[in-house]
Amino acid sequence: MASNKVYWKSFDQLANTEVSQRLAENEFAQDIPADVFLADERSMEAQTSRRDFLKFLGFSTAAATLAACEQPIIESVPYVVKPDSLTPGVPSFYATAYTDGQDYASVLVKTREGRPIKIEPGDAGRFNRGTNARAQASVLSLYDSARLRGPVLNGNESDWSTVEASLKKAADAALAQGTQFVLLTSSVFSPSLQAAIERLRQAYANFQHVELDAVSQSNNLDVWESLIGVRALPFVDLTAANLVVSFGSDFLGGGMAQQLSSDYATRRKPGSGMLRHVELESNLSLTGSNADKRVKIKPSEVSGALAYLVNELGGSASKVALRDDLTKALKALAGELKASNGKAVVLVGGDDANQAKLSAALNALVGAFGATLRTDKPVYIRRGNEARVANLIADLKAKRVGALLVAGTNPVYFRPDFAEAIKSATFSWALTDRMDETAQLCAAAAPEPHYLEAWGDFRPVAGEYTVAQPTIKNLFNSKALLEVLGALSGDSRSAKDQVAASATAMGLNWNQTLHDGGASVTSGSVAGASAGSAAALASSAKVAKPASGMELAFYENAVGAGFQANNPWLHELPDPVTRLTWDNYLTMAAVDALALGFENETNSDGSLDGSYATVKVGNHVLENVPVFIQPGQTAGTVGLAYGYGRTAAGKVADAMGVNAYALGVTTGSANVEITKAEDMHEFATVQLGNTMMGRRIVNEVTLADFVADPSGASWNEKPTFHTIDGHKTSEEANLWADHDHETMHMWNMSIDLNSCTGCGACVVACHIENNVPVVGKQEIRNLRDMHWLRIDRYYSSDMSKERAEDENIGGIEMYAKMEEPSESPSVVFQPVMCQHCNHAPCETVCPVGATVHSREGLNHMAYNRCIGTRYCANNCPYKVRRFNWFNYMANEQFADVNPSQDDYGRMVLNPDVTVRSRGVMEKCTMCIQRVQYAKLEAKKVGQPVADGAFTTACAEACDSGAITFGDVNNTKSAVRAAKADARAYHLLEEVGTQPSVFYMTKVRNA
Amino acid sequence: MSVIIMPDLVLSYFCHALKSHRLLYSMRMRFSPIASLIRRSFLTILSISLLSISASGEVSAEAGKKLFKANCASCHKLDKKLVGPALGDVTQRRSEEWLLKWIRNNAEFRASGDKDAKAIFEEYGGSVMQAFPALTDDDIKSILAYTIEGDKKAAPAPAADAVAAPAAGGDTSSPWLVYLLGGFLLINLYLLLRVRNTLKQLNGEEPTNLVEDLGVFSRILVANKRFMTFLTVVLALGFLYALYSYLMSVGMAQNYQPAQPIAFSHKIHAGDNGVDCNYCHSSARHSKHSGIPSANVCMNCHMYIDGSEIVDATGNAKYGGERSPEIAKIYAAIGWDPEARTYIEGYEQKPIQWIRIHNLPDLAYFNHAQHVSAGQIECQTCHGPVQEMEEVYQFSELTMGWCINCHRETEIKGDNGYYAGSIDGSASISDRLVERFHDEKITAANIGGLECGKCHY
Repeated sequence: MASNKVYWKSFDQLANTEVSQRLAENEFAQDIPADVFLADERSMEAQTSRRDFLKFLGFSTAAATLAACEQPIIESVPYVVKPDSLTPGVPSFYATAYTDGQDYASVLVKTREGRPIKIEPGDAGRFNRGTNARAQASVLSLYDSARLRGPVLNGNESDWSTVEASLKKAADAALAQGTQFVLLTSSVFSPSLQAAIERLRQAYANFQHVELDAVSQSNNLDVWESLIGVRALPFVDLTAANLVVSFGSDFLGGGMAQQLSSDYATRRKPGSGMLRHVELESNLSLTGSNADKRVKIKPSEVSGALAYLVNELGGSASKVALRDDLTKALKALAGELKASNGKAVVLVGGDDANQAKLSAALNALVGAFGATLRTDKPVYIRRGNEARVANLIADLKAKRVGALLVAGTNPVYFRPDFAEAIKSATFSWALTDRMDETAQLCAAAAPEPHYLEAWGDFRPVAGEYTVAQPTIKNLFNSKALLEVLGALSGDSRSAKDQVAASATAMGLNWNQTLHDGGASVTSGSVAGASAGSAAALASSAKVAKPASGMELAFYENAVGAGFQANNPWLHELPDPVTRLTWDNYLTMAAVDALALGFENETNSDGSLDGSYATVKVGNHVLENVPVFIQPGQTAGTVGLAYGYGRTAAGKVADAMGVNAYALGVTTGSANVEITKAEDMHEFATVQLGNTMMGRRIVNEVTLADFVADPSGASWNEKPTFHTIDGHKTSEEANLWADHDHETMHMWNMSIDLNSCTGCGACVVACHIENNVPVVGKQEIRNLRDMHWLRIDRYYSSDMSKERAEDENIGGIEMYAKMEEPSESPSVVFQPVMCQHCNHAPCETVCPVGATVHSREGLNHMAYNRCIGTRYCANNCPYKVRRFNWFNYMANEQFADVNPSQDDYGRMVLNPDVTVRSRGVMEKCTMCIQRVQYAKLEAKKVGQPVADGAFTTACAEACDSGAITFGDVNNTKSAVRAAKADARAYHLLEEVGTQPSVFYMTKVRNA
Repeated sequence: MSVIIMPDLVLSYFCHALKSHRLLYSMRMRFSPIASLIRRSFLTILSISLLSISASGEVSAEAGKKLFKANCASCHKLDKKLVGPALGDVTQRRSEEWLLKWIRNNAEFRASGDKDAKAIFEEYGGSVMQAFPALTDDDIKSILAYTIEGDKKAAPAPAADAVAAPAAGGDTSSPWLVYLLGGFLLINLYLLLRVRNTLKQLNGEEPTNLVEDLGVFSRILVANKRFMTFLTVVLALGFLYALYSYLMSVGMAQNYQPAQPIAFSHKIHAGDNGVDCNYCHSSARHSKHSGIPSANVCMNCHMYIDGSEIVDATGNAKYGGERSPEIAKIYAAIGWDPEARTYIEGYEQKPIQWIRIHNLPDLAYFNHAQHVSAGQIECQTCHGPVQEMEEVYQFSELTMGWCINCHRETEIKGDNGYYAGSIDGSASISDRLVERFHDEKITAANIGGLECGKCHY
């Protein structure tokens, strides 16, 4: 009897969509452009005969061969006087502080031959010593060829003395005429700069200083200023917490000035007393993805929910009616907060005044003050004041501003009303890194040094003082704000002298402070807030009624506020949750998309398209915003990322995405009107499968099960095979000869899925360390991304094999349902790089022996042997091999995206790693250049390689300590201990590849 | 077949011609006449100085010269001011008694209140001269004798050279002998042919000439199939061998000897004067690069040595007693004023643009420190007898086969703490290697020195 089974190739076919019908009719996804070719009359009329063709062929072969015989003469130019501290070929490290207008971090800069090439985390114990994706990528912003090269006055090239004189003249004129002289900056938390501003205030009676945070914290700051007396936010101490409740605060992904991921990871080590994390949010954020419990909430419900909790905990706030399911969740949460005994903290995202009051009150009622919320230890990184910005705009429009100096910020881009206003300034002057949206409207613009070229000092938090030092001479004719302000107030000291003076004034040893990158100081602390007055704030807060229409909540991805929007590494890094690159878009729940008629469709070549929407907030309108259907998005809400839609940032950023700031919202969320627009947008995604389809790719266990069975027998069983000798594990049922891995080192890597938050700093670090090419949107859309390290994101599905069995659901339907993420999915992240299999499938299929195994447990890739058959990539079960389809360094197609295409961008290349050419395969080497370097350093001092003496770029960048690298032949190494842990498992163990990389089971505190 | 091969043949010929042309253009002959001349002149200097060293003992100018070079030359010259005054006529300016006191311990002498001593101290800006308590009176007198006599003794040098000249002539005579013998053989051949033709005529046959004979002979050979097959095979193999050798040499630069911007002689520095390679190439011990010394390293010595003492083969001062124009190039690069003996303020320094000789392709990672510090390999193992090279050339092939061969043969330094030390109390790498390889030699290859990823990443 003939089988009548119907096989379907994809979900599309099963659903019998238009695409699959078209596919069935026509085998080729895109038409072969024969018509175009044949239509070209000139090509048809060409007189080239076959003989001519052969002649050309012969000639060009001969010419190419002749050309290849020539050897270039290479010059070698030593220093005339070599600096003592520098040995060519040996890196030097400098401690400094990273700031880009938004972030602050204490970092270590690696330089080679005087060029900064890598950013590493600063010394342990420093405030914000981690490096997020932006901090990692910031080294490329130094070499951005779009930076302003010299002063510009009225659109013409000028010089420093002229532009400085013009500013002085305008400031003096303003003073004489009684108009204002305004300095507009990002938040200033530099003691030297504050002193310089103070001197300017003394010199000019009409002087005003306005601070603007791109993503505002103004209302939060107002509340805390009223409680603690200084304009700063309280320090959050997660290490003292057992429960963190977050209302839309994306404290792991971005948005918060204080980096919490390191403390978070420390407190998320599985075991009793593990930090529990409850997230109530509208967008599915990186932070929400990591939560133990996630509750969907609309922005307009947040104040009601906070008020409910305040009332439950004994405070008094006005009450509003909430959804039943939300009330139920809040009731349980109130119980947990009460039981926390002060070891809890409530964080709130956005910048709503009422939410800020209610969350302060709630924290006071929980008992967080002084414990998990250190109100006596202010964080000074955010100081912006929207009221003053609004005043400035009004003053500008009323022509009350005689001279405007904008330094290090871009108000025209951040605030839609500023563009009109700045034109009314009598004289405007921008100190800027590029001719950005603001500088273009200013009468004069002058280049500001990058943080890696500049002196500076910071007091990011009470008790800490840090110093920034230049690691390279100014690439362009730039001048620091400290010196510009100094010149205005008659202070001719250099920036270095000003910084050294403020360090010395604090009683610090200048050389020691400079060497260490900072020091502990006593200044900056305050008395702390009284819990009583904070709790009393609740009654003054207006509690909003939940809105019925669509609401928009803004968020930040790796691009952040947009200061580094022209940095291609940040765009190439996929969004951790949506896995889209080179874009921002409206994230929308599937139910809303269905109701409003928005579509996402997968083309037959695997690329994704989405409909366009028009977004309207008040009288601000954004056209052509693509819609992306996001599982986990709260129905009735949409999300949109800041930082895109630049018009004057450079060739990478311009005309990419839409400008979320243009909607004129500074409080983080707003009611919004959304209508469908014509056409479909082309997305570039790196991940097509969203669920694990019932396979155990990420092993997960609940905390209760983990504590109940520490051996892991019930939740981390090894797959076995039925053999003639009984059941055997893949290691026992082994057909391969084993390598000698005992004699020398055996490098292994452990990835703790419990610590990994999916932030992506490691991906950028890997890019930098290994000269991984940037390929741009189109190639990623073609699924040809070059990341050596990717972070897979999986959603849970409502369907499982067990459920299918229980409900008697057939196989086809089960798998179809499994492909669909749940409406409220739990999310897991899994970093995947080359697993360095000891029985590697790639090695056996390479016809030229280009990829071979080392006795140190690494899978080597010899680029110059590779002939590009791509057999290895096809045979790799982990899909981690990347093929160079183009010469990305030289091909015109990548001129706008690949930083290595100009001389500046090439300066960031790691000189110890080969730049791969077209036609070869590449993949993670486990930073073999670092392995070799560490072994050599050990040999030079005559000692064995110590555990932790070095690590890979990804492990070093990881703020959460999720990646551990080391020698398992060292019985005392951390990685050996990890390998013996009950949580350890290999990815796709059943394949029998015996990888050198292993994962630690994720434990969810559910 | 031949039609297909022909273009390749022509092509390879072209390539070869081009390559050899390039080599001629960019390289100099290793043993050029000029170089041998310089070499000879230095041998002469060396032999003279050896002579003078052996003659030390009593008061003599020769012993004085040796002492002067050892103790005084870093600050004094005979004919010009250096850090201290010129000493050529010091015995005329000062009494021997005064000089004995001053040289033995000038600080003590000054303290004793001698006016001249104080004056000279102040004239030279208060720079303190070292005391020489170890010098005997005879030693000092020898030095003074040398200051009177100077380097005049260099005069006998031409005689030594004259002795060497006939030997050199003997070398060149050998080709004449070959021509002589060749001519003799040709005459013999002619005579034999005449004899043969005479014999033929006696037999009544037609006399033939050589060309006709060869024609007959070659026709016989061409008609012989075996011979033709053999010839074809030999020619084909020869061609293939030539092609293979040529292709294997593409990109290789052994013996590459470019002209450098400064005629720097490693022979003088590393050979004659025994300067340690690591003194100038200091980063070889620490870094992947051996490092070309920066000009300030040159100045450590060349602040005092300006090359005016160099003598040529005839024993005459090579640059007429003036400073060497080659050393002047260093001064021009760094901005040193040799007259004022100071660095010029605000001088725009000009880096010296050396031509790189040893070029590895970018795909290969090579680290000097690994070989020099960890492996303790002598520089000469790869770079050849640099101390004998007037102009450095690439000694080794620098091919991957050459690298690998050395990795196969070279034993590791197993006593290095990296191998011998134990980090966790268990067996060290050395122990584990011995266990695995027993009595075998533990080479770089045995610890993974042949794995691709060790050099290619």
